Amino acid sequence: MNRFFEIFFVIWSWLSALCLVGAVAAILGFLCVKGFPALNVELIFGNTEPLSALLLQKQVFDGLFPAIVGTLCLVVLSVLLAVPLGVAAGIYMAEYAVGYVKTCCDFLFDILAGIPSIVIGLFGFTLAVFLHKNFSDQVYPCFLISSISLAFLVLPYIVRSTQISLEEIDPAIRNTALALGASRLQNIIHVLLPRALGGICSGVILAIGRCAEDTAVIMLTGAVAIAGIPRSILGQYEALPFYIFYISSQYADQAELMRGYGASLILIMLCTLLFLVAFLVRKRIAYQAFYKA
Amino acid sequence: MFELIKIKTENLSFSYNGNRILDNVSLEFREKTITAIVGPSGIGKSTFLLTLNRLWETVPQSSMSGRVKIRFDGKMQDIYGNGMSLTGLRRKVGMVFQAPNPLPMSIFKNIAFPLKLAGIKDRRTIDENVERALQQAGLWMEVKDRLNDSGLHLSGGQQQRLCIARALVLQPEVLLLDEPTSSLDDASAAVIEELLVNLKDNCTLIVVSHYFDQVKRIADTVFQFPYNGISQQ
Repeated sequence: MNRFFEIFFVIWSWLSALCLVGAVAAILGFLCVKGFPALNVELIFGNTEPLSALLLQKQVFDGLFPAIVGTLCLVVLSVLLAVPLGVAAGIYMAEYAVGYVKTCCDFLFDILAGIPSIVIGLFGFTLAVFLHKNFSDQVYPCFLISSISLAFLVLPYIVRSTQISLEEIDPAIRNTALALGASRLQNIIHVLLPRALGGICSGVILAIGRCAEDTAVIMLTGAVAIAGIPRSILGQYEALPFYIFYISSQYADQAELMRGYGASLILIMLCTLLFLVAFLVRKRIAYQAFYKA
Repeated sequence: MFELIKIKTENLSFSYNGNRILDNVSLEFREKTITAIVGPSGIGKSTFLLTLNRLWETVPQSSMSGRVKIRFDGKMQDIYGNGMSLTGLRRKVGMVFQAPNPLPMSIFKNIAFPLKLAGIKDRRTIDENVERALQQAGLWMEVKDRLNDSGLHLSGGQQQRLCIARALVLQPEVLLLDEPTSSLDDASAAVIEELLVNLKDNCTLIVVSHYFDQVKRIADTVFQFPYNGISQQ
């Protein structure tokens, strides 16, 4: 019985892992097969000259270029908003919060992590309406509101990854700098944070992925089908996930659907690119923190 | 020769998680001597060291009662008193741990790290202090040509001497060593023992040790834990 169970368990684990890998491979393969034929310069730039589009001299009307730029800007701004807040909150949770306050905050961050993105989108929309009514009728759902809402959406990832990677640090390392006369903050800045960078970076990568793919939030807070390159943080904008949603829900012919697959493939490549950047930044920061400073 | 008392504990008791680890320990440590603390594992020797630089305060669910006084600037001062700066105390009471714990940075940066923490920016002061500390720890000749190599690339014994040098760079008055040779081979341990004996001209040393023969070789005074007030040599 025991031996049978062991064999069964090993096979079960193998199959589970295989299933997951297979599913990912199947999705990526499907996207590649469908998307690659659609992938060309015209898909991105339409009838506009690529160079003049890249230099922002001419508008692109029938290509994905504005949506790519929109998604890129959206991810960057959202992550820039979320990282300082999330890392600081994570540091507070790991290093300063104790007892009742910590339990309370833990609970609240769990709730925040569990809020569906459509609800966060609604929050962003409500915020825009509130600002429109009470402060300025120039404020509409816009790029800035989307970024703030997305930052809220990904905040729990960054808080948790920071907190966990700080709490995991060996007590011996924790005491090294303290024994040498470091203040608590010096210890955090010079020893603990550089150690925790890997974990924090994983959180940021999750956050990047989430910001790039989320559709529910942006469709309620300012993403539209045609807006051109985002010109102002108070303007509306285009984004890849919204384009994919839009095109797949109301395509007129096969060619339009193929453009949707092409857009999906571009979105995945964009995410990969952002992950790579995050990894490089992490390496650079770790080097700066330990060897240069 | 009359020797001043450097450290004095009065009715020191310590509990962790509700278990009493130290019970009414009252000891005196003479200035510029090596005192060894021996005894079986888990009896509170390391904990005792942590009460002398207040490092136990980072450990949750622990509590301490009693007093610890250390002579700074010619005056016995309560290190748990209001006027005592925690970082200032730890700069004067250095500590070396059981396992070498160099930071993942260059040899030079490791030694200069406490100076940086203390806010010393003058390049020449830093260079001079780093060299002096490395020489005191007997490591200068071995590493002077590769100060920019990672501290993690040194051997175990060298890493431990690096940690001793790092603790010495601020010229502490007291040096606490928690089984500093237990993770090293005999040859490396012998080098460190000799180093400790040389250090007592400038510093009051307290060494927690498992090895009785080591204690006999280097210690001026021995306290046996669990402490019962009589086992002084």
